[in-house]
Amino acid sequence: MSEQPSGAVASSDLEAAARNTEQTAAQEQSSPAPSPEDGAGRMENLSMQAALNRALAETLAEDPRAVVLGEDVGRLGGVFRITDGLQERFGADRVFDTPLAESGILGMSVGLAMAGFHPIPEVQFDGFAYPAVNQIVTQLARMNYRSRGTMPMPVTLRVPSFGGIRAPEHHGESLEALFAHVPGLKVVSPSSPHEAYHLLKHAVAVPDPVIFMEPKSRYWQKGDVFPDDAGPLQGAKVVRPGRHVTLVAWGAMVARCLQVAELAAEDGIEVEVLDLRWLKPIDAEGLAASVARTRRAVVVHEAPLTSGLGAEVAALITERCFDTLRAPVGRVTGFDVPYPSGDLEDEYIPNIDRILFGIQRVLEYRRG
Amino acid sequence: MDNNLQPAALPAEELRRLYRLVTAVRQLDLAAIAWQRQGIIPGYAPELGQEAAQVGSAFAMDPKHDFVFPTYREMGVALTMGVDMTAYMSTHKASWHGGLYDPVQTRLAPIQAVVGGSVLHAVGWAHGQTLAGNPGVALTYFGDGASSQGDVHEAMNFAGVLKAPVIFFVQNNGWAISLPTEAQVAGGTVAARAAGYGMKEITVDGNDAAAVVLATREAAAHARAGHGPVLIEAMTYRRGPHSTSDDPGRYRTLAEERRDEGADPVRLLADRLVAEGIADSAFLDAALQDANANADRVREGVMALGPRPGSEMFDFVFAEPTEALKAQARAWREESEHV
Amino acid sequence: MAEIPFPLPDLGEGLIEATVLEWLVAEGDQVERNQPLVEVETTKSAVELPSPQAGRVARTYGEPGETINVGEPLIVFEVPDNTAGIVGTVPQEAPARRRVRLTAVPDED
Repeated sequence: MSEQPSGAVASSDLEAAARNTEQTAAQEQSSPAPSPEDGAGRMENLSMQAALNRALAETLAEDPRAVVLGEDVGRLGGVFRITDGLQERFGADRVFDTPLAESGILGMSVGLAMAGFHPIPEVQFDGFAYPAVNQIVTQLARMNYRSRGTMPMPVTLRVPSFGGIRAPEHHGESLEALFAHVPGLKVVSPSSPHEAYHLLKHAVAVPDPVIFMEPKSRYWQKGDVFPDDAGPLQGAKVVRPGRHVTLVAWGAMVARCLQVAELAAEDGIEVEVLDLRWLKPIDAEGLAASVARTRRAVVVHEAPLTSGLGAEVAALITERCFDTLRAPVGRVTGFDVPYPSGDLEDEYIPNIDRILFGIQRVLEYRRG
Repeated sequence: MDNNLQPAALPAEELRRLYRLVTAVRQLDLAAIAWQRQGIIPGYAPELGQEAAQVGSAFAMDPKHDFVFPTYREMGVALTMGVDMTAYMSTHKASWHGGLYDPVQTRLAPIQAVVGGSVLHAVGWAHGQTLAGNPGVALTYFGDGASSQGDVHEAMNFAGVLKAPVIFFVQNNGWAISLPTEAQVAGGTVAARAAGYGMKEITVDGNDAAAVVLATREAAAHARAGHGPVLIEAMTYRRGPHSTSDDPGRYRTLAEERRDEGADPVRLLADRLVAEGIADSAFLDAALQDANANADRVREGVMALGPRPGSEMFDFVFAEPTEALKAQARAWREESEHV
Repeated sequence: MAEIPFPLPDLGEGLIEATVLEWLVAEGDQVERNQPLVEVETTKSAVELPSPQAGRVARTYGEPGETINVGEPLIVFEVPDNTAGIVGTVPQEAPARRRVRLTAVPDED
């Protein structure tokens, strides 16, 4: 850290460094030969952990303003190994451990952004974003506004999120509605290694604060990643088409909804699964396009029901599809209770049966 | 400071009790790591090396009047306070976050997962004793890592301003997961910060159980006498991993551990007892046997813990449940398979 | 499961070998970091080697009385491929189970 420029960064130095890095990156990128048998380019089977790690490594290589900071992100490589090897590779100025204070990490990130950096802070677990909420809400989210656009906040806050790993208290929370409610924040959650890789790289390039919610229960599952084929980085994505009902989900619930769609197909019901991806801004047109086809929708999320993001999704669908909807938009969510201990996790997180009941309700609904 | 606040040296019987306690904590701690390896519990936060700091400090408190605020690594405190250890360990079984013991009756606040989260509560509770004219003292635990949290600063400042009867007990175990104290605590010690809050501080060898008892008794007497808060920094060492899934080999070597770990708290006390003729090897053996038997009993208790009834998710959200929540509980009962 | 070998380290300046005196762990044992693994004798002294990590013992090398050269395998640990985070477990991918069947006929008009 001692060599890091403090306060005002000599931007010409940074830009010179950027050019150098870009050249290096371009050289590196040109080296792997395109796979001969696959016209779509390279494909790799990676866990979400590995995909995120790679996205961070490439970001650090390509963007000299990017810095990774947080508790145990350096030598340990992060409590989920997402930053594994990055300090070794990029040095302790670019990837550094902070004292144990989340408000400090976020407040520091605001200051680093003011100094021209692209901070990528990590909060180890969703529940430890609460101590940082003051800095996130009162500072990070509104510095661009307060400064009349002269101090944008290109900060990407990585938060391992949601439940499903039988962890202690405050290690399995779903904060998307809280963050989405705050003007000035963008919120995104990937559902697969491919999405994680591309959305994280993209989030860092976004000039606004992005809360990047990593579904920790999906860290270990592998999936195909196409590094050269990001596809659209904005908006929602249909991950399984169907004509009877749309399931809207994000993060770890996408995989569960895909399971449900498979089971529903056995009963003759064709379920469309829409991965919302961006929780702010929500892709209202994407929602409307899907529901225009299926005419029924159920939102599934782990967070509690009341004032959850499902309410926002339902409102957006209703505003756009009121005339075509065959049933009120359904919600299958966590309950309005604190996230329970591991033994009761499966009772809390929407399970297959509860989602099937939700589908049944909108299918059975008749007007009048 | 009044000389009458200086505690007397520990009598032999107390030293023997202390030894039985640190041994019980050591064996239960080792057992809990094994339970995790055997799939009995999903995870555990070992406290190997911190037995003296925990047992010694809890030993000094008055269970009739005082109240204790733990973190998630205070098994030795709970055991010393006589908490049912199956109920305590249930937090690591993932039965109930705060543990299944009764915090009001045991005088031990629920297990706290937020680092530094309960330090302010101790100040509030302590000030409540002042307001109510009670003689109680609050003892709050936290680590070198938690000392970085803003809440801890706020707590110390409040306590200093209010002269609250609270003991801030820092177990400086050298490591906050992978970060060593020198990268965590500017200025080198937490105790040095007490001066800034106008607060008494005591730095003590956290591996010496008897010394910790004396330091905590001195602090409690100071606070009880209305002289305000005390910061105790017990210098010790986290000999094990942060948690059962941590691999310290990623950030420190065995040679560094050997260099830094200091005296083994259990061994240190045993040597003293034997050297002073307070205990013989038969006593030490009996203490170990009792400790292992206790660990076995707790193991059986933990294994017998079924999942809590799912309805408890809804039972404790409010003191006065809402109709909407009751409706959710009914829907849950209809739609899920239940434990 | 991944296997992590631990070769005999140099136990003193320039030692080239050590003799196994007694194994303190057996194949299949779960050992903790720092737990004594084996007692070996060098030309200087008998020492207990502590385990550099936690894991299950997959294999040990050398019967009591046998000599092992520095750098040669002493013990192999078995560790899971997927490492859990600092707390919690690695969730197992469960097969889709259900009780509920969809009986509704979608209103197609």
